[in-house]
Amino acid sequence: MATVTPIDLTEVLKNAPAGEWIALSHDEGRIVATGKTLDDVLKAATEAGEEQPIVLKVPPVSALIL
Amino acid sequence: MRFPYVVFPAKSDAAFPNRRLCARPLIKVLLRKGPRSLLTYAIVDSGADQCIFPASLATHLGITIPNPNTYVFSGTQDSPQIAYFDTVTATLWNWNPAEAAITFELYAGFCQTLEHVGLGLLGQDGFFSRFTVNFDSRNLQFDVSA
Repeated sequence: MATVTPIDLTEVLKNAPAGEWIALSHDEGRIVATGKTLDDVLKAATEAGEEQPIVLKVPPVSALIL
Repeated sequence: MRFPYVVFPAKSDAAFPNRRLCARPLIKVLLRKGPRSLLTYAIVDSGADQCIFPASLATHLGITIPNPNTYVFSGTQDSPQIAYFDTVTATLWNWNPAEAAITFELYAGFCQTLEHVGLGLLGQDGFFSRFTVNFDSRNLQFDVSA
């Protein structure tokens, strides 16, 4: 199987607001909306013409162990 | 199916003064419940017992929480955490047109304590129990096969 290239979100997310929901464009190339709630972000993304954004927060490194 | 790691920006701290980024084994996963769907990331986490997502996602998918399907677990916090479970349809794909997406029914939990993380966890029960997963961290990629 061919090697795949890592998805590098460092530039896209470098100024992303901490602790807020983020909607990325489907190609992961840009932030289309940010907001305090997931609903707000999804509505804003739809209004921006992004029908199926990828939603996430920028996770703190310390928060990933469960 | 082969997936790339996802590289996030990360701040340095006293323990890791040179850290600027953090690569994680994440999958884009489309969650569906009836007519509603949502595309998000989930961490492929062999240390997690269950598959769990932030509670906000349940609300968007039309899943009622709290619900009777409670699961009490503990992580790094002293206090017990509660997830509410329901069955969703999950679809994984690496966006390679030559490969077919993987779709399966997933009994997933939703909890408030993952809200601050904003990502889901694909753990042992429901993900690792269903797929063979091989990590190649050195090359920032991993394989998932049925």
